[in-house]
Formats: sequence, structure tokens, C-alpha cells
Amino acid sequence: MRRMAVVVSLLAVVAACSSSNAEPQTPPLPEIDLASFQQLLGDLDRPAVVNVWASWCLPCRAEAPLLQAAHAEYGDRIEFIGLDYNDSQRGARLFLDEFDLPFTHYFDQPGEVIADLGGFGVPRTYFFAADGELIKTHNGVIDEQTLALQIDELLNR
Amino acid sequence: MELTLLWAALTAFVAAYLTLRLRPPDVPNRPLDRLIGAAVVGMFTGRLAAVLAAGINPITNPGQLLLIRGGVDTTWASMAGFATLAWPLRRNPRAVDNLAPAALAALGGWHTGCVWRSTCLGTAADLPWAWALPGSDVTRHPVELYAAIGFVAGAFFLARLSLPKGALTGLAITWAALTRLLTEPMRPSIGGGPIAFYITATVVGVVVAAWSRNLPSWIKPSNSR
Repeated sequence: MRRMAVVVSLLAVVAACSSSNAEPQTPPLPEIDLASFQQLLGDLDRPAVVNVWASWCLPCRAEAPLLQAAHAEYGDRIEFIGLDYNDSQRGARLFLDEFDLPFTHYFDQPGEVIADLGGFGVPRTYFFAADGELIKTHNGVIDEQTLALQIDELLNR
Repeated sequence: MELTLLWAALTAFVAAYLTLRLRPPDVPNRPLDRLIGAAVVGMFTGRLAAVLAAGINPITNPGQLLLIRGGVDTTWASMAGFATLAWPLRRNPRAVDNLAPAALAALGGWHTGCVWRSTCLGTAADLPWAWALPGSDVTRHPVELYAAIGFVAGAFFLARLSLPKGALTGLAITWAALTRLLTEPMRPSIGGGPIAFYITATVVGVVVAAWSRNLPSWIKPSNSR
């Protein structure tokens, strides 16, 4: 019992040490509404992967490194867009400081865009063809194989 | 709730169970439990490795370890699973040999689980048996089913072999690694997939099989059969 208490105390200390009060480095995210989002998609001349995330969402942290790797590999052929939902600007900026997702992210606090696109839960990933058609909605954390397959599908259409 | 991973795990369990029924492994203390234990330890270790590789602190984010769907590091998962299975039986290499076909069958079952998860498809292909994603015209290799066939064929082939102690385990490692290696080019991936790991595992399996006549002293068989 005593040993357990020591372990729990140590874990609490480690957890406390890792929390941050620093000011976020990422600039505030631009807000977006449905009309602006549709115009954004319409202006694209290539397929798009739209990822819905939030700083409070645990699975979003799990898939962030995968999105980072996917962007590094396919960012020249696919447009990656982040939609931060039901979040605070500070939380979102700290999240981006931590994960360095080098594509454009928009602040959709009320969820106007994702309410129109459909699906459920966060994270959520939408795959759009170059003509703006929604090809696939993936609800929940996405794994490498599914993401790679859907990207391949976008590129082969 | 998303239960497709659970169905895939159940398919793996059934495949291992049937293989153990076909060839009783003569392993003391619940052979199926050993396989399941190895799979659980492997999955946890693989998830832990993926979390650490992503730069996430598992102590401050312990919930991350449960998000298996967020990614599992194949290399660490395989090594930890194999070590968990082999270490307690290190003084009885024949026992590991007897479990090897069931482990291959379990891998085959896990890959067959792609049917429940709708994740069977790989790169584009124009073959009679290729099929397309819903709403798509692009037909694709059912690559996970290719791998499943490879694993199950390996299980049945190895279950019928009688070889020196340790050789069957080596061949099973080689078979598993080669199956993944040969199907990897048909599997869309981000970053190219763990090709180097599969090549290494293939070589390690061959070395273990070839070395099986001269097992090191720390693997002294407790009973020679």
C-alpha cells in the first residue's frame, strides 16, 4: 500500500511538471462559417482532407502525428485543412504548438461547418474530391491504413 | 460504439482455437491463454511505442494507451508478443514450436477481420477478384485477405511438419514476416511501411531455424523428446 502511494505521488509530480503555463506561439486561428468554408473548397483545384479536432479531445492527440506524416508525404498533391471545434483559442493554439500540424486550421467553435457536413464525434475526417464532392466521412480516430487508402482513392479518381 | 476491432480479435481467437484443436500442442497450462496473453502484451507494447514515438507522455496522457486504433508500432508489438510467448517456455522449445502454427492462424484470423472492419482493400488493381470501395470505380487488391490466406496456409503447412526443436518457430517467424513483406507493396501506407523490420524478421527466422540443432546453453531443453 505504501509503495503504491509512493508511485502515485511520483506520477502526480511528473504530471504536474509537464503542465505548461506558457503563452502559445501559434497565432490565433481564423474563424470560419459555412459560406466561407464552401468558398474555400470551391477555390481548391485539388482534393482535400479536412480533419475536425479539438484540444480537449484525447483521440485527436493520437492521430495528430499521423496527419503530420500524411501532410509531409502528400501535402503537395492534397490540401489538408484543420477545423477546430467547440474549443478555446488558447487551447487550440497550445495544441498546435505541441503537435506542429503545418497546414491551415480554422476555428469553428459553434460547429456550423461540421453540422452541415454531417457525421458524429471528434475527431472526424472528411475526404473531398478535387471538384468539392464529399467522398467519405470517417468518424473517430483514423488509423494509418484507412487514411492512406482514402488518400490513394482521392488521388486515383 | 465501434466494435469492429473486437470482431477482428474474436476472429483471431477462433482461428487459434481451431488450430489448437486440430493439433493439440502438448503445452502445459492453457496454451490458448498463452497466445492471448502474448497478443495483449504485444498490442500494449506496440501502442506504448507508438505513443512515445509521437512525442506524447504516456504518464500525463494514460488514456492514449487504450486508443489502439490510434496506431500500434508493429515492430515492438511483434517483438514483445513473441518474447512473452517464448520466454516462459524457453526451456521447452518444443512447446513454442507447437504453439507456432496456432499463432500464425491467429494472425490469419486477425487479417480476415478486415471484412468486419471494411479495411481489406489495398492499392488499385485491374484483376477479376479486385473490388472497389463503396461509391468508387477504382477496383483494388483485397490485400489483407491475401495476407490472411498466407498466414492460414502457413499454419496448416507448418502444423504438419516434424522438425528439430526450435526449427518450427524459426520457420513460423520467417513465414509471418515474408507474408507481410510480400503483401506490403499492395498496402497503401504513409511513410512506406516497416519493410526493414519484415526483412530483418525474415532473416532472424531463417537463422533461428538453421541454428535449432545447436540451441544455446540458456535454452537447455528440460526434457528431450
